[in-house]
Amino acid sequence: MKAGFQTVFFKEMKDVLRDRKTLLLMIVLPIVVVPLLLNLLIGFVMKKEQEAQTEMLEYIVFGDEFAPKLAKIFEAAKDFKKVTLGSRNELVAAIREDRIDFGLVIPEKTAARLRGQEQASIEFHFDNASIASKVEDRVKERVGEYNEELTTARLAKLGVSSGQKQKALLEPIRLEEKGTGNMREIIGDRIGGMVPYFFIAFCFMGVVYPAIHLGAGEKERGTLETLLLAPIPRYQVVLGKFLAVFCGGIIAVLLNLASLGTWLAIKAGELRGIIGMLIGSIDSLDLVLLALMLIPVAAMFAALLLSVSIFARNSAEASTLISPFGIVLIVPAVLAMLPGVELNWFWASVPVTNVSLAMKELLKGTMDYTMLIAILSSSTLIAGGLLFFCAKWFNRESVLFRM
Amino acid sequence: MLQISSLTKVFRLARSKRARGERDPRERGRRFHAIDGIEFGVRRGQVLGLLGQNGAGKTTLLRILSTSLKPTSGVVLCDGEDLTKNPLEIRKRIGFVSGNTGLYGRLTAREMLHYYGKLHGMTAATLDERIGLLVGKLDMGRFLDQRNETLSSGMRQKVSIARALIHDPEILLFDELTTGLDVAAAESVLTVVAACKEEGRTVLFSTHHMDEVNQLCDSVVIIHEGKLCFEGCVDAMRSQTGESFLDKAFLKLTRPKKEVAIT
Repeated sequence: MKAGFQTVFFKEMKDVLRDRKTLLLMIVLPIVVVPLLLNLLIGFVMKKEQEAQTEMLEYIVFGDEFAPKLAKIFEAAKDFKKVTLGSRNELVAAIREDRIDFGLVIPEKTAARLRGQEQASIEFHFDNASIASKVEDRVKERVGEYNEELTTARLAKLGVSSGQKQKALLEPIRLEEKGTGNMREIIGDRIGGMVPYFFIAFCFMGVVYPAIHLGAGEKERGTLETLLLAPIPRYQVVLGKFLAVFCGGIIAVLLNLASLGTWLAIKAGELRGIIGMLIGSIDSLDLVLLALMLIPVAAMFAALLLSVSIFARNSAEASTLISPFGIVLIVPAVLAMLPGVELNWFWASVPVTNVSLAMKELLKGTMDYTMLIAILSSSTLIAGGLLFFCAKWFNRESVLFRM
Repeated sequence: MLQISSLTKVFRLARSKRARGERDPRERGRRFHAIDGIEFGVRRGQVLGLLGQNGAGKTTLLRILSTSLKPTSGVVLCDGEDLTKNPLEIRKRIGFVSGNTGLYGRLTAREMLHYYGKLHGMTAATLDERIGLLVGKLDMGRFLDQRNETLSSGMRQKVSIARALIHDPEILLFDELTTGLDVAAAESVLTVVAACKEEGRTVLFSTHHMDEVNQLCDSVVIIHEGKLCFEGCVDAMRSQTGESFLDKAFLKLTRPKKEVAIT
């Protein structure tokens, strides 16, 4: 004969898995929606990046006669198109209204200053509000070409003709960077903080609906009262429900990981460069460890949300009470992205942050595996404490029969 | 068999629930005395009608008897055994159905009966036998394998009763069993209650329908504002009030005295 909690668990799993909303959140979302969204998002970003690099930039130059060589460099470039504008006063408005991409204003004294080996200033007007814009880089590249030409000529005039000597004059001390971090470490540090956040969010989403359904939902449907009359201790009812909610989180995480892993494996070829390299360097052990660390997180979420849900009078109230947790849980996940927050014995005991930091380390390939023991122990201890609280909470009449 | 002595249940009132206008006499400061010093007994095989207006304390009393709630003070003895001392053992002997108790919509009636049977520690073979018996008795064959969410109110109430009877309990607690049912469904449910009486089970039956009391109950207990205001047989209810209709007798027993004087 099964123990009471096993009977409750199997029944709850059957109940939860027969629900379309749960299936949608737990199975369809990770298997279909996540890869689809990733595909669309990355495809869109790559397309925009490509467009920004190659699109024709329309520009206007006022005073091109004062720096004719520079004006010719822009005119000769195939991806720049010179246009005309009524007056200089229209320049800012024309950029804001997207009629032109940028404008150069070359002052009258520019020619004289250049001739006199002095420094000349040219006004560069562009929309600096657009982060994705490549206008600044592309214009600076062209001006840089001309600057280099002028520098070489000026130095030659001063008698410094050799390329090596010119370099030595311009940069007496060159800092030769010899970073100890490999590319995986660098990229892992930059984007590694974001990845755990997604997995923690998926884990949370997988737990929410079963928690509401098996807690407040039971109250709402009037089935909780009959369940309380079963001749099994209430902690077994809680344990059965907790395991079902916990499984919801684990299924969601594993499916998300599997789905993401499959997507990355397929796309790795297309995602060349550093991202491709980072993905290629994550091995299956890392993925297993990633999943392992999310187990106590799912347990924490399950115990916490089940406690909240059982307190609520109905599903609507449970949703309202649970929603803020979605925001609150971002905080420890975001902490892991802050500079200076590194995985050590202190942070290994801070729930959620510890897992986020460990995931970051895993992606960087610099994981200190002894920390895993601390992370798993502290997270399991907290999850156990929350489960104990949930069981105590479930024994309170004021919670179960809250009017 | 069931002996209830000085039973009191006090709830702590949330601020929002405290009366702002006319105060309920049971509300004392932050506390609400849902039932207050109730005493009565039920013999084995007896059907006892539990009457009272809405909010009188019937459901609270039944919840205590079903071990869902713990009494604040007082004792309930079931064959001499204190209900609060060993609730798990008492639960094996009690079946509870209320008009509000629900079903798991995504399970079939059979799955639900299996679930509760397993929770009561029944073996698969005993369960199948018991389900077969209940299906025949409650005429559930047509919808046994349908999901509960597709069933009518009458069918649902039958599944609820089968759920309460699955472990063959000695005591049945029915709380407003026929609320919301049509005449045919109510009649069918009442037939089951009558059958429980014939089988020698003890039944506590809370209702607002006096015809059901007349038809089924051996004795009646009336609770008014948390206190016991009548205990006796149906005939005693009539003779004590001088009313031949039970509705009127009930109203006389529960109406405040000054109102009775006006009418």
